[in-house]
Amino acid sequence: MPRYYGPQIRGGASGVKLSLDTTRASVPADTADIMVCFNWEKYAELEQELPLGADSVVFYDSASSKGSISLPEKSFQVRFSEIGEELTGTTLAKNIVALGLLERILALPEGLSKGAAVQDEASALLERNGLALSAGKHLLPEFPFAELKLSSPRDASAKAVLHGNSAVAQGAIRAGCRTFFGYPITPASEIMEEMQERLGQGNGVFIQAEDEIAAVGLALGASLTGAKSMTATTGPGLDLMTEMMGLASGAEIPVVIVDVQRCGPATGIPSKSEQSDLNHVIYGGHGDAPRVVIAAYSLEGCYRLVIESFSISEYYQAPVVLLSDQWLGQTTVATSSDFLTKDYSVAQRKRPGGEYQEPYRRYEITEDSISPMASAGDEGFMYQATGLAHNEKGRPSFDFATHQRMHEKRWQKLAPLRDRDELVKVFGREESRKGIVAFGSSAQFVLETVEYLGLQDEVKVCIPELIHPLPRRLTSFVDSLERLLVVEMSYSAQLHHYLRSQIDLPSDTESYARAGGLPFSRKELSGPITKLAR
Amino acid sequence: MSEETNYRTEVTPIWCPGCGNFALLIALTRRVLPNLGIPGHQALIVSGIGCSSRIPAYVDSYGFNSLHGRAVVIAQGAKLANPELTVVAIGGDGDFFSIGAGHLPHAVRRNVNITCIMVNNFVYALTKGQTSPTSPYLQRGEGPFLSRQFYPPVDPVLDMVSYSVSTRASLIAQGIATDVSNLAWLIEEAVKHRGFSFVNVLTPCVTFDPPWLFKTIKERASYLNEGEPVGLPDSSAEQPWLHDSSNITLALKLAQTPVMEKPHIGMIFRGKEL
Repeated sequence: MPRYYGPQIRGGASGVKLSLDTTRASVPADTADIMVCFNWEKYAELEQELPLGADSVVFYDSASSKGSISLPEKSFQVRFSEIGEELTGTTLAKNIVALGLLERILALPEGLSKGAAVQDEASALLERNGLALSAGKHLLPEFPFAELKLSSPRDASAKAVLHGNSAVAQGAIRAGCRTFFGYPITPASEIMEEMQERLGQGNGVFIQAEDEIAAVGLALGASLTGAKSMTATTGPGLDLMTEMMGLASGAEIPVVIVDVQRCGPATGIPSKSEQSDLNHVIYGGHGDAPRVVIAAYSLEGCYRLVIESFSISEYYQAPVVLLSDQWLGQTTVATSSDFLTKDYSVAQRKRPGGEYQEPYRRYEITEDSISPMASAGDEGFMYQATGLAHNEKGRPSFDFATHQRMHEKRWQKLAPLRDRDELVKVFGREESRKGIVAFGSSAQFVLETVEYLGLQDEVKVCIPELIHPLPRRLTSFVDSLERLLVVEMSYSAQLHHYLRSQIDLPSDTESYARAGGLPFSRKELSGPITKLAR
Repeated sequence: MSEETNYRTEVTPIWCPGCGNFALLIALTRRVLPNLGIPGHQALIVSGIGCSSRIPAYVDSYGFNSLHGRAVVIAQGAKLANPELTVVAIGGDGDFFSIGAGHLPHAVRRNVNITCIMVNNFVYALTKGQTSPTSPYLQRGEGPFLSRQFYPPVDPVLDMVSYSVSTRASLIAQGIATDVSNLAWLIEEAVKHRGFSFVNVLTPCVTFDPPWLFKTIKERASYLNEGEPVGLPDSSAEQPWLHDSSNITLALKLAQTPVMEKPHIGMIFRGKEL
């Protein structure tokens, strides 16, 4: 259930697209089967994102301000507001009346809303508006079509209802994160709010910082003492965190930064998705500061990959940026809860001790380039970290050979990540010579469109979850192709350019890239994908 | 002295001979840490960027020479995650009163139990003599103030003590680098105090400040003694009152005295502990 909203503070245009699919959690259909509209003026603001099809069924409250919006054949004006007012004294109950009608049209089991009303506080509203609900149910006979029946649910297992931002917060808790620092920003705030809820009351450390610099600075401070620390933001906040990201890279301090991408540059469109932070997260900051970039493309991925981000960050002592986007972050999905309960391996920080002999060298060059890291407070392993170029002991050192060696250490320690094949998802037949590379929520639309076009046998799809350092499996996927299509929501085609800089792309390579805001649709992607398959 | 070898690393400071930062280093390694019996591994010194921020490399404790202006946020994060640590944030006037000034009021109101030591040398020294927010301001026509500058500071001074009092830090003290004993005592009190402590250290920059700047400060400095009359500038018509460091209103009056007219050395304010 993606959310569509604009820059209003309260009220204003807002919509949700609820997709009921008992077989999977996937991207909603391009056009709505049923639309309920209470205000045409506000619909006009969201029309690009919520287009109607010729077969759409529309129920609307009032025809005023409909303007030039052309309605499909099956459009019905229903007195939602009037009925609501008659029965409850306020037009505010209009949505409950509409809900009653929808319950009947969708032939939902009797008592479903009643059951929900006892379960949570928000639904209790239904109970208080029982009259409006039942009036809505009785509206059905007025309309000239038979009941639409949903197929019966095939999967009766427990369902989790959450959005990507919530999955990130829950995953962080699962990974053992107990220190979180944030600053409110759309569309990432839900992560902070959920961490506040979970870490409050003495369960951990939560601070809403004075800005994003402080948020990531507090996280680095906590990490120095051995705590798994995280912050979450979007583009503008990430800009402010960039200097600290370089410090975390140079001083080798684990930290996880979640970037729920939105349209840029500058303030851009805060409530809409884009994939244009890729350059920033891979290259942002001065100097050569290696970091790890991971991108979720699914709800389950938001949960699994934040755990993975902690593992990588802690093990490799490096900043990890987990990319999400507004679509992933704010689309609520009801899905199997298996991913919330299954086991995940969690790698830990390498600490000094055991056979380790003094004197302790914080940045000792080891075989795997990972030096044991003491936590501030540990006896016997005092060290002084610094953002200055330093030697193995952590002492400021402007010796150029040492500087070169420390660069080698910080870059080489991340090299084994390139063999993490499981962080690259490949769909389709291996023998295919035509393929698509996409990441983040765009990848969902690519997969859907390939299936919608029935091209699973002709076109294979590669979705890297590990973006940087470049995974070998992505390289070999591209190497296996004669034709490549790179799909992304970035005006300047950042993913395409990143791939070009790292891999010899096939001479027959197309880039499908545009600015964000409007989500991709099957209709839109059918063009480039059909062309690829031709 | 054996205490010093316990708390000093082998690293030679980069500071100029006669620099006030040596006083802070001595105060920390020979007095504060040994006197309070804090083992090096239970202390964390976080610094920013500047001359004084080089100090973590010289103190044998946990340390982090971080980013310009950000010591106080990193210090808070560490303290919150490990409350057992003694955490000290050290930086200069550029750190705490220019680039990182936005963090200070929030550190004050958050009141995390850390000590913030601002080494105020009135100048950007590591970058070779530029104006800092605390560089004394002269009226137009009075001529360049600092030795290496062609242009005098054009904006009024941001007074750190007045600022920390007005935001009501839990403990506020001002020391002077020429009196290590007093400085060490103030820092000890600040470290022991449960709450956010702010210690301003008046420090000569022997390279970029004109020699008479610090001479003036020293001459006019007046020590605050509990229950005794406070020193007031010659220009003040007010009757000196008896110093009471628990009184925020009196602290504000002290803080409003321009530092060049009557620098108050000692415990300016000591509020309730956490």
